[in-house]
Formats: sequence, C-alpha cells, structure tokens
Amino acid sequence: NGAVFSKVRGSQSGEDSTRWHVVRKFLGLISNHNIPVYLIDPLILGLVDKDIERIRSSPSGPSPECKYFCTPRDFTTFALLDKTWKPEVGLFKTAEKMGFQWLKIINKDPRLDGMDDLSGVEIPLHYIFKLASHAIHLVVFYERSGNYLWHGPLRLKQHMDRKFVPFRKLHFGRYPGAYEKPELLLVSIDDLKVQIPKNPSSFLEEMSHSRFLECRYREARAFFQVYPDDASLDAVEFRKKAKSLLHLAALTLNNLGVKFWLSSGTCLGWYRQCNVIPHSKDVDLGVFIRDYKADIIPAFQKAGLPLKHKFGKVEDSLELSFQGEDDVKLDIFFFYEEDDHIWNGGTQAKSGKKFKYLFPKFTLCWTEFVELKVHVPCETLQYVEANYGPDWKVPVKTWDWKSSPSNVQYNGVWPVDEWDDVIQIY
Amino acid sequence: MDEWKPNPATKPHKKRSWYLAWKYKLMNQRALRKLCQTGAVLFLLVTVIVNIKLILDTRRAAYEEEEESAQDYDDEMLNVEVPRHPVNNKKVLDVEVYSSRSKVYVAVDGTTVLEDEAREQGRGIHVIVLNQATGHVMAKRVFDTYSPHEDEAMVLFLNMVARGRILIFTIKDEGSFHLKDTAKNVLKSLGSQVAPFLSWRDMWTFVGKKGGEVYGEKHAKSPALSTWGDPVLLKTEVHLTSVEDAECHWPDTELNRRRKRFCSKVEGYGSVCSCKDPTPIEFNPDPLKDNKVFNVPVAVIAGNRPNYLYRMLRSLLSAQGVNPQMITVFIDGYYEEPMDVVELFGLSGIQHTPISIKNARVSQHYKASLTATFNLFPDAKFAVVLEEDLDISVDFFSFLSQSIHLLEEDESLYCISAWNDQGYEHTAEDPSLLYRVETMPGLGWVLRKSLYKDELEPKWPTPEKLWDWDMWMRMPEQRKGRECIIPDISRSYHFGIVGLNMNGYFHEAYFKKHKFNTVPNVQLKNVESLRKDAYETEIHRLLGEAEVLDHSKNPCEDSFVPDTEGKVYVMFIRMEQEADFTTWTQLAKCLHIWDLDVRGNHKGLWRLFRKKNHFLVVGVPASPYSSKKPSSVTPIYMEPPAKEEGAVAVPAVPAAEQT
Repeated sequence: NGAVFSKVRGSQSGEDSTRWHVVRKFLGLISNHNIPVYLIDPLILGLVDKDIERIRSSPSGPSPECKYFCTPRDFTTFALLDKTWKPEVGLFKTAEKMGFQWLKIINKDPRLDGMDDLSGVEIPLHYIFKLASHAIHLVVFYERSGNYLWHGPLRLKQHMDRKFVPFRKLHFGRYPGAYEKPELLLVSIDDLKVQIPKNPSSFLEEMSHSRFLECRYREARAFFQVYPDDASLDAVEFRKKAKSLLHLAALTLNNLGVKFWLSSGTCLGWYRQCNVIPHSKDVDLGVFIRDYKADIIPAFQKAGLPLKHKFGKVEDSLELSFQGEDDVKLDIFFFYEEDDHIWNGGTQAKSGKKFKYLFPKFTLCWTEFVELKVHVPCETLQYVEANYGPDWKVPVKTWDWKSSPSNVQYNGVWPVDEWDDVIQIY
Repeated sequence: MDEWKPNPATKPHKKRSWYLAWKYKLMNQRALRKLCQTGAVLFLLVTVIVNIKLILDTRRAAYEEEEESAQDYDDEMLNVEVPRHPVNNKKVLDVEVYSSRSKVYVAVDGTTVLEDEAREQGRGIHVIVLNQATGHVMAKRVFDTYSPHEDEAMVLFLNMVARGRILIFTIKDEGSFHLKDTAKNVLKSLGSQVAPFLSWRDMWTFVGKKGGEVYGEKHAKSPALSTWGDPVLLKTEVHLTSVEDAECHWPDTELNRRRKRFCSKVEGYGSVCSCKDPTPIEFNPDPLKDNKVFNVPVAVIAGNRPNYLYRMLRSLLSAQGVNPQMITVFIDGYYEEPMDVVELFGLSGIQHTPISIKNARVSQHYKASLTATFNLFPDAKFAVVLEEDLDISVDFFSFLSQSIHLLEEDESLYCISAWNDQGYEHTAEDPSLLYRVETMPGLGWVLRKSLYKDELEPKWPTPEKLWDWDMWMRMPEQRKGRECIIPDISRSYHFGIVGLNMNGYFHEAYFKKHKFNTVPNVQLKNVESLRKDAYETEIHRLLGEAEVLDHSKNPCEDSFVPDTEGKVYVMFIRMEQEADFTTWTQLAKCLHIWDLDVRGNHKGLWRLFRKKNHFLVVGVPASPYSSKKPSSVTPIYMEPPAKEEGAVAVPAVPAAEQT
C-alpha cells in the first residue's frame, strides 16, 4: 500500500517523501516490537486538527494525497508511555539494521527525587532515531503522583554528539512538561496508521503551557537540617487536613475550569520545604480575576465548604474564604493584572481598611504538591520574595497579614455605604 | 526558543581538573619534566627485568621446591618489593594474603579487598574468588570452620565456583577444629599441600586457580595448644588469562547477555553460570485468569544477602500470575552484588543510603521503599511487600487475586498477609481456608495505599526512634482495631537464618517447621465470609457445630484431641480480660507454635488444626464467644513456669519480619 502511495505522491512536485518513508519505517519498527506510541508532533497535529472531523469519520480511508507527513521537516515527534513498554536491546538492534542511528537521553528519576537517599537507575527521557535527513523524536512520558503524565527535559551529557540533530528545533525537551493522560484515537493519515490524541486542539493548548517545575527537594532537605520538621501529632493532623482540603479545592476549581495556583503560605511551603507548613493554619490559592466565575461560591458550598467571608468585589480586591474541616480555612485571593505588576487586595473587617499586595508579573507552571498536579508561579523566587522578603527562608510563627508582608501597601478605606457588600462575614 | 542551548553547564570532571592543574605546573618546569621522563623510562626497564626474573624464579620454585622449602621461597619474596605494573594491558596481578590470630587481609594489586580485624568475629577460613581475566573480586565468604557444618557449606561453595577462577584462602584465629576430611580433600584437590595437615590454631594462606596451578601457599604451625601460629604473609603473582577464556559461549540472546554480565562479576550461584547447562533465569509461569493483582506493584525489601535475594526472586518469578514489570527491589545500602542479582533477572532495583542503625535503619528503609513504590506506581491502590528471605508460594498471586477485593471494600481490614504465624506442619491443614486475625504477621503482605499515605507515612517513626517498623504497625494507635486476612497454610516461607533478629536456633525453633503451600491454583473457600459481619456468622456457625473436648484431660497431650479427621473441636481456656494471655501462652508453648507474643487471635479465639481436625480455642470470659461454653465446663488454666526455669535463650520480643 505504502509503495503505491509513495508513487502517487512522488508525482507531486515540491514535496519530499523522505519524511513519510522514515515515519513509516519507524512505525513499522515499533509495531514489530509492540510498542504503543502516539503522535504529538505539534505541526502535524495542527494540520490534523483542521481536518479532524473528516479523519474521525473515516479513520481508515485511503488518502488521495500526502498532506501531513510530506511537509519537509527535521523531526516528527511521538510520545511513549513508560509503563507500556520495556526498553530492550532487541529494538535498538533492529533499528540499526534498518539503518537508523539512535540516541538515548537518560537522567535521574524525578519520582525518587523527593526521597531521602534513594538512588534508582537513571531512566530514559528521550530517544532520537535518525534516518537519512529525518529524525524521529520519541518523548517518554511517566505517570506521576497526582494522576498526570510527565516528560523530562532534554539535556545532553558531555560526551554526546551535539550535532546529532538540530536539538534547538525540538518541540519538546526545553523544559520538563506535565500533561493530562490523553484519550487516544487510531487513525489513518497519509495511509499511515497512527495513534493521535483524540482532541488535538486541546492537546496543543495544553502543550503551550505545559512547563513543569520540580520541587526543590535538595534545598528542602537542607532547610529541614536547620529547622527540623514538626513531627507532633498536631502537625501531622494539620497536614492531613490541609492536604485533603487542597485536593477538594483543586477538584472543585478544576471542574469549574478555573485556573488557580498556590499562593502565600502554601506556595512558600512548596518552595521552601516541599510540604505544607504545619503552623500555617490555612490553605492559600491565587486566581486571576479574569477567571472569576459566579458559581465558585455555590460550587464550594456544594462540596461541603461553606463561605466564611467575602471581602471586596469583582472590580476591586476580591477575596473569598471557605471553612474547611476543623478550623482549616481555604483562602482564595483574586489577582489583578496591571501593565507592570500584579496585585491582590486585603480588607480589615472591623475598620474597613484596604490593603494591596504587589507582585512582579509572573506566568504559571505546573508542579506536584501533596500528590496533586497544581500551578505555581514559574518565577517562584520573585513571588515568594515579594511576599515574604529576603528572609523567607527563616520560619516565622507570628505573622500579621496587615504588616508582616514586605509587599503590603495601605490602600485606603472602603466607603461605609459599601461595607455590607464588600465585608461579608458568615 | 532560539536562545536555548540544550546543554546545561556541566560541572568539569573533578579528576580532570586536578590533572590539568598538575599538568600546568609541570609545563612550567620543563627541566624537571625531562628528568622525570628519563627516570620513568629507567625505572620501567628495571621493573621489566626484575619481573621477568621473578616470574622465571617463581615457576622454577613452584615446580622444584618441596613443602618445607616453599616457605623459604615465600620469605625471600617478602624481601623483594614487587614493583608496580602499568595499570593497562596488565597480565599479572600482585596478591598479598595475611593470616593471623586477630587479623586477616587480602590485597590485590595494592587494593585491599578483604580486611578483618574486628574482635570476636570473622573466625575461620576466609575465601575470595577472583575473575581470572579481570582480577575482579567475584565472591567473598567466611566459613567458621571452628564450628560444626561450616566446612560442608564451604565445600558446597567451592564446588559451585567455576573452573579457572582464582581462589584465595586465609585463616583468622582458628579454622581447623571442625574442618573434616571431605573439606580437607577438596582443598587438597585445589593444590594445597598444607590443608590435609592443618591443625589447631595454625595460620594458613593459599592462592590457586581452580583446576589449575598453585600460585603460593604459606603455613605457620601452632607450637602449643594454648598459642597460635605466627602470622603469615604470602605475596605472590597471578597470571591473568584472556576474557574469552574466562567466559562461557552461550548463544547471544538478551537473557544470555544478562547472564554473561552476572557470571563475569560474581560467583557462588551454582548452575546459573554453568557453561554447559545453565539454569534458566526466565520462568514464564502460567498467567492467572482474571488476575486482580497483575497491576499491583511488588516491593522487595532487601539488604546485603544476595544469595537469599537470588533464591527469593527465583521463587517470586516462578509464581503464577507474576508481573515482573511491577517488581522493584529496594536494597538497603550501596551493595553491588544484590544489584547484580536484580539485574540478572532483568528487574529494577533501587539502592538506599542507610540512615540510622539496626532496627531504625530497617524501619527507615521500609518507609523509603514504600514511599518510592507509590511514587513509581501512582495509579496503584495497593502494594505487595516482600522480603529477601522469603520463598513465595506458586499460588501467591492467585491467593491475593481472590482476596484483594476484601481489602478494598472492608474498612475493618488492615492487611492481607501470606503468613500464618500459627501455621506449622502440625497445625495447618487447609489451603483453601482463610482467617481474620488481630495481629499483623507481615512476611509477604498487602498494604493499602490510603492506609500508608493517610495514616502511616506522616507519622512513621523517625530515625532516632529505634523501633521495629512491624512492632510499631502492630501498636493499637496504628492498627486501630483493624484485622488482617491470613491463609491457614502460609503462602510464604521464611528461610533466612542470618539476620538482625535471627539466628540458627531461633529459626529452627520457630520457622523451620512452618507449613508452606505448594499446590497451584488453590480455589479459596467462601471468601465473602471473611467480611466483618459475615465472619461473625461463620464463627458462630463453627462454634455451634464444634464438639467440646474433654476438659479434664491435659491439652498438651496428643490424646486431648480424638483420633478423628475433619471434625471441629473447641476448648475453653481461662482469659480474665482482653490482655490476659497467660494460659494461651502456655498452651502455645506445649503445642510448639508461636509463643513469644500473642499472634493469630480474633476476639479471644484462636483457630488451628490438630490431627487434621479444626481446633478452636476460646478464652473465657474475655471472648464474646464465651457464651458458647457449656456451663458444666471449667476453662482450663495453665500456670506459667517459674521465671528462671522457663527462660529460653531467644530474644525477648523478636520481630519475625525483620531478619
């Protein structure tokens, strides 16, 4: 079939069939070894997405022309789920026999990174199979705690051939990334049977902000050397409650499609010690005001978290607090974006005084925290320093939200006639 | 994106920078360099000449000299400093072996590969096996041949070593008292001239090739019963062969590549490295139909007992329904050989830097291993926890597959364990029968992730608390009244006799006669009756059907139980309150079952078998089942023996799991 097809498309001008042939060979190789890969090449998925209805409706129909795999490119990118295969020497031997040159990029296993003193074998993160002028980039995805997939960064070791392929042009590997587990669809495009994410456009969207930050486990260990962890029963209990509150909050907000990140003390806990700070007494989340939805409050109430107080309004300094189990509070701060900074507001209930907390602009990254895939500001250090000053590494047990933060500004007083609206306490 | 360089700032290699600095210094001192060069060349020349002479001398000596003068020759050797050989392409190894009352050591090319000067340990014959092509240490053993049977173990070991390997022997303290003729003959067949005459407190060193030449032997007789022979130091050279000659020529397959790697590194695993007929390292047991535990991760907790690990993994990989992809071996310490065993079987292994000491170290190793297991398999709801000194029953996974749903659905359960503490040859009978017990047996068990993550992990004992993890898990604060499901006949067998809380006597008394299921595909009986409420119904039914034994007889006597088969009997013992195990302990003692602490109880009831009859023991009045006691029956009371006499030389509260 392929040979016939290549003749057909060979007659067309301006296209190069090398890529198509290399992809076909690669797919043959991996199907011979029963390795289930799926296509994640953003450029091809972009094209596929445009025709997705037609492709879905006739998943095995013959293609009249080579539309996707014949655009000359240096790479085609595929993904592989680690747990679905076992790297065996045989695969690479066969690959070599077929004319492929291959490169394996390994590194330490991040799933063991947080663990004191464990050393596993290094795990494969990327493979590159090169044939003629085309290369297949195979990204290995690992399941991690928090029900998500992770791929590692692509870093060359010293002895490696830096010119093996133009590494800079790769679409994956500049940073580690975090993804949902995709639903897959077996389709036939350009007469090649290949698995693709069922919804290419949402995969591409996900890819655009998939950057993942590992917790700073080594620094966290150093922190605990200086300030031994609180192992009291109270601390254990609080952490347990904070964890389940965070899980519930994440579930609720994710269901609503509201993007959120770890903020204030919870963010500091992640950044400084990779854990909940036991004396922090609440869980803090940040949400951009543009993502605000009116059904946030009823959704939390439905989840068993009644509204404790609501300060401010959507236009200004909005802040919601929900009552979790046994005095553990969930605070959601809404963030307002300005040209050169981002801020959130605070309100003192008894006086109606307003406060403003200023942050340098930031973007969001994924991380893993208490078995949850959550966002944190990518520029975490600036964020934490803005909030807690240069001494954020030193634990402080007494904290006054009106004066302790180093980024707090006095922001006037709410007009008395608005108090009923902007200061609601339950 | 364009700015991105996929090459991180890699740290310069330490060794390299040191070398560069040194080189830089020398470049500035050209004259010195020249001098050094000339010196080096001269030195090399001399070395070569001395070497050639030495080799010739050695050869001649080895062939010509008699036993006595062999020692003289060695003394000569002492005076000649053997020059260093260039490290690369070398064909000769310098070997130094020292034997004395309080210290032994072996150095190969100046590297100490054995050094033991610890007091009161390491007595006997130390044996080191070197690869004849690379000179690498492949095995290190010590056989305390002052004590009985150790010489048999040594013979077994020496027979397993492949022909052509280099063997090095040295005695520390005493190695002859129980060195029997068989062992002496084996040593003689290796070329030792001294071995047949080795006697009390002699010092002895020997280096030879298995089935080949002798590289040297030295001996110092003990002059009198009360003193030791003088220390001896043997210095000799061993000629390396080519790698080709040292390897077997198995067909080139993925499996054999693993085998080759393993066999070139370690020795003492018998037929796995046999050139002619190697034992398989892949087992392909039958898969299980509807295997509910196929995707449950298996954590194997290991220390530095690679031979145990080898035996354990063989049995595990032979169990029906095993999924090798889910197995991770956690090694406590940076030991190479256990890792070699793991790799031989194509499994993944993780090493753990030891934290803390003894029991606390084991405890920390457990915590790290369990956390890592759930990190590596984030989807898993359970983990199977095994130890390196267990044999795994052929139907281990089948047993779990049939029972795991209980652990998922019944919140009153703490674990499923493959081990029945009371399941001895004479007390266990029915492979299809399960129990609920209030104790946690360990030794092959299933842990629920939520129990670990939500309850155990956050408050796991910290390193400074020298607690046994299993003792801690059994404490009421952790167990919270929950129970474990166990089989009547264990699905694991504890074979380890060396360990932290383990010794030969203890093993013989409490583990050796444990019953172990060898029947495949056992269909478990009435699994649903193991649920909390259903189990009560079941117990009441059993007690209703049970025949009350004659309480005037001695329960320790065999005649206490009639000579029947397949009947259910009940006896009542005195148990004043929930924690009163006075009579039970005495009964357990005379029945020769586990009596070191209380195991296997469920609400004051114990279930076992005697003479193939189901035998129930109810503690009255503490047990809720006391109501089943006919009013005419007086519960049996057994007095504990006076403290002094009853004391047995076993650890006070041993933890069976931690060995």
